[in-house]
Amino acid sequence: MSDAPESVKITINGVEIEAPAGEMLIKVAEEHGTYIPRFCWHPRMKPVGLCRMCLVEVETPRGVVLVPSCVQPVADGMIVETASPVALKAQEGVLEFLLVNHPLDCPVCDRGGECPLQDQVMSYGPGESRFVEEKRHYEKPVPISDLVLLDRERCILCARCVRFSDEISGDPLIEFQGRGNTTEIFTFPNEPFASYFSGNTVQICPVGALTAAPYRFRARPWDLQTIESTSPFHTEGSRITVHASQNQVMRFLGVDNGPTNQGWLSDKERFGFEFIGSPGRLRTPMIRENGELREASWGEALIFVAERLKEIIERSGPDAVGAIGGAQGTNEDAYALSKFMRAAVGTNNLDAQLDDGLNPDFLVGVGSRARIDDLETANTILVWSADLKEENPILYLRVRRAAQELGATLIVVHPARTGLDDVAAHKFGYRPGDGSDLLADLAAGKDGFAAARDALQEGPLVVIVGRTGLAESGGLAEAVASFAGDLPGVSIMPIVRRANTFGALDMGVAPSLLPGRIPARGAEAPLVELWGAIPVSRGLDTVGMLAGLRSGELKALIMVGADPVRDVASGSRAAEAIGAAEFTVAFDLFLTDSAAMADVVLPAEGFAEKEGTVTNLEGRVQKVNRIVPGPGQARPDWSILDGIAEAMGSPIGLQSAETIAKEIATVATAYEGITWDLLEWEAREGAVVPHGDAQQPLEYVAVNAEQPQQTKGLGLHLARTLYDDGSAMRHSLSLAKLAPGMSAGLSPDHAADLGVEAGNQVTVSIGNVSFTCPVRIDPSLSNRTVAIPFNQPGIETLDAAAPISVVAGGPS
Amino acid sequence: MTDIAQWSQEAEALAEAVIAKYPQKRSALMPLLYIAVREDGYLTESGMRRVAALVDLEPAQVSSVATFYSMYKRQPVGKYLVSVCTSISCWLLGGDEVLEAVESAAGVPAGATDESGVVSPEHVECIGACGGAPAVQVNYELIEGLTPQKATELVEWLNAAQPETLNGDEMQALFGGQRSFDWAIHETDSATGPYPAFQPHGTVAPQGRS
Ligand code: SF4
Ligand code: FES
Ligand code: FES
Repeated sequence: MSDAPESVKITINGVEIEAPAGEMLIKVAEEHGTYIPRFCWHPRMKPVGLCRMCLVEVETPRGVVLVPSCVQPVADGMIVETASPVALKAQEGVLEFLLVNHPLDCPVCDRGGECPLQDQVMSYGPGESRFVEEKRHYEKPVPISDLVLLDRERCILCARCVRFSDEISGDPLIEFQGRGNTTEIFTFPNEPFASYFSGNTVQICPVGALTAAPYRFRARPWDLQTIESTSPFHTEGSRITVHASQNQVMRFLGVDNGPTNQGWLSDKERFGFEFIGSPGRLRTPMIRENGELREASWGEALIFVAERLKEIIERSGPDAVGAIGGAQGTNEDAYALSKFMRAAVGTNNLDAQLDDGLNPDFLVGVGSRARIDDLETANTILVWSADLKEENPILYLRVRRAAQELGATLIVVHPARTGLDDVAAHKFGYRPGDGSDLLADLAAGKDGFAAARDALQEGPLVVIVGRTGLAESGGLAEAVASFAGDLPGVSIMPIVRRANTFGALDMGVAPSLLPGRIPARGAEAPLVELWGAIPVSRGLDTVGMLAGLRSGELKALIMVGADPVRDVASGSRAAEAIGAAEFTVAFDLFLTDSAAMADVVLPAEGFAEKEGTVTNLEGRVQKVNRIVPGPGQARPDWSILDGIAEAMGSPIGLQSAETIAKEIATVATAYEGITWDLLEWEAREGAVVPHGDAQQPLEYVAVNAEQPQQTKGLGLHLARTLYDDGSAMRHSLSLAKLAPGMSAGLSPDHAADLGVEAGNQVTVSIGNVSFTCPVRIDPSLSNRTVAIPFNQPGIETLDAAAPISVVAGGPS
Repeated sequence: MTDIAQWSQEAEALAEAVIAKYPQKRSALMPLLYIAVREDGYLTESGMRRVAALVDLEPAQVSSVATFYSMYKRQPVGKYLVSVCTSISCWLLGGDEVLEAVESAAGVPAGATDESGVVSPEHVECIGACGGAPAVQVNYELIEGLTPQKATELVEWLNAAQPETLNGDEMQALFGGQRSFDWAIHETDSATGPYPAFQPHGTVAPQGRS
């Protein structure tokens, strides 16, 4: 193979073409405009040559033979006929065989109308079958998980689902069972197909054998309108198509965008669409009167908010007002929030992160920032962050691929077991709080760390850093990045989890940042001309604002798609803060726990209801699009903010999301040249900021970031799970039931000390919250760490800083 | 229902030795399945889970392999599994009649187990003894050149004597006829249950006992 020519000449249907040696024939043919029918071949998975649908004629020294083109590498001088009478007869024969056991129940099949089997039988199949015998029969659809149903009669045994689960997502829970005519796809008895990625198998199944519970029988493909957009979940910015019928979003499908999701979606982002059409959506503005929220008109509500804010500003100054949120919407909405707070209110009190993120200057300003695609060429990858499988599942798939398929050396550092441990060459655990000791050991290549230390010297190196849990300070991630910054060939990817956090920070929704990665004190011409003087006060972040509310220093809080009561690591203290505020207003899709405490609640438009852009964790800007109207009188955040500013007498002059986008491109240095047109027509994969020749003014300099925090006694590892009790989850019926619920992760020794086994009950006390939950045994935990999932249904959010204790048994 | 089988210490030791032979754990899957069968008498779900845990696979992958092969019995079988070959050579020389004789002597059709749980007749494809057709295996120990009469006697003997271990050569002498190779090496290994006798699986009776 090594002396094989770089590129070879082959002839397909009489046309000579050039192709890279070793590429599969089916792919080469397709790239040159010749489609060869196929079922098992999938461009993102290894070829297997199972279904024989792709037979073509190839001239060989033995004469002309039929070969499956998906497992036939091209070679110089190859002469191929894809539609000769013999090839066509072979394809026809394969289809007749595949239909021998297929039930042909297309009229009641979800796949009907977009089914590769249906389509290829129409194009390549025989008109009739000679098979008159009885077909195989199986129990019609069997739920194999809460989300996926399996109809084995329809299955053509192409193994796409099996290969996806094994090769791509790493949870091979479905497999071929049996042999010969009784071969079927199935799970192990009583072991559901409980994968975070199961929906992908539904999308790639070439028949209707796998169907998704949230979409079953709800629409026909020909009745759906479709628009491309960017997923509202996860910071990776997966490309999706949104499908709607009669103003209802019916489903999301993954789009193969090479630099990001490569076609795959997590089940949370695939099935989370249900929140959009939820009956729980807010439809009318509401004002609190005599303790009760009552409906109001937009005019009344906007004037009410404006007057309350004005009055507080006049009495206590602009720094008595703060805003939390903006990470769930578009860049345009975030820009509006930034402009509103700076230009109309006159304060730097705003924060898109809810006390679970990282230093914003670090997030947007880190030097040698990695792109996701750097993983493809990395020699070594260090992941020292949250469990990617739970918080950044698309990044998880990409890292998994790099380690498993592309041979990168993966080093994982995390206090508990993570989804990547099985493909990691090195895994280090530690007690939360002791991270800086471990970093020092790793940097010094101490005993047990030498091999990992050496691997870190073998660039290209990608370092993914984030907070491993809510009880750990963000400073550690900065310390890791600053250590890694000196390693050869390094690129660094700081990550957080909330959808458009990076976009919101890029729009200046942080005390220290202005739009376009400009430091708050570095405002220059175009921005100052449009916004006027930029406030000089230091500005509070979320923690500061909540503390300010409690102390009375801060009087008014604006919550934009933010639910501090459920989202910050001490919900009760957040609730206390909101309760202490003189005035609070919430723009939201739902009456969240926090919104329910607000004085004014304003219904906001959400995903699929508005147009705009979002920015992913590598700085990739992509378009989101509108396909359904918002419920009732809901309005986009920017328009609400513009209305309030207008009513306050300090207009911010926003007309539409599109004109805001133009304004961003003018004032936000790093976003220069990024227009909607560019994203729609030219930069189909998105445009990465700083774009083109644009500059990124902010240069993040690490400042002695980590102060070692010593935990005495038990350490708490408080980590999020993919499914939790967040508001989008609560309002997506199919996903709401998937939150794992409370559990206490203990090391085997710790459990033995307490005299408990997996599944036994223990009582956990964190601060003044106590609850009883089952034990999970996690050998990756240090002996004095308790792992608790964050934000589970029925339990108030926990104070990450409070002392923790665990005792065996339930309440006495 | 998602329990994992607890194995005897001996079985665990055997499994460890088998796994150590391969550069990749999953290669040990098939031998371990026999150990699982030896432990429970047949391949149980909890046994498959135990094997999955030992070789770092998902149970679904283990059952995918296990269900492909007919020798991994996933239902209980009797003390003696009597496998009658009905492939072409044996069929031409009366394999069907031998099977009928076994079925009627056992009182149950192929695929079932008699009431007392002693004999399970089954028909199998070619067992590589075409030269000595018709051929039968009892607990995978081979007997060649049977007649329906001898087959009946074989089942009666199994029922009456209920030997703890079975040896092919000894049964051949009692019930067999024409052999494929008369010069075949004398086989001392004896089967200890309805699974193949194989030293590394711990399924061989101590030498000489039969
Ligand atoms: S269920 Fe679908 S994807 Fe899986 S093997 Fe069957 S046809 Fe292929
Ligand atoms: S597509 Fe080539 S064999 Fe299935
Ligand atoms: S046909 Fe019976 S052993 Fe070969």
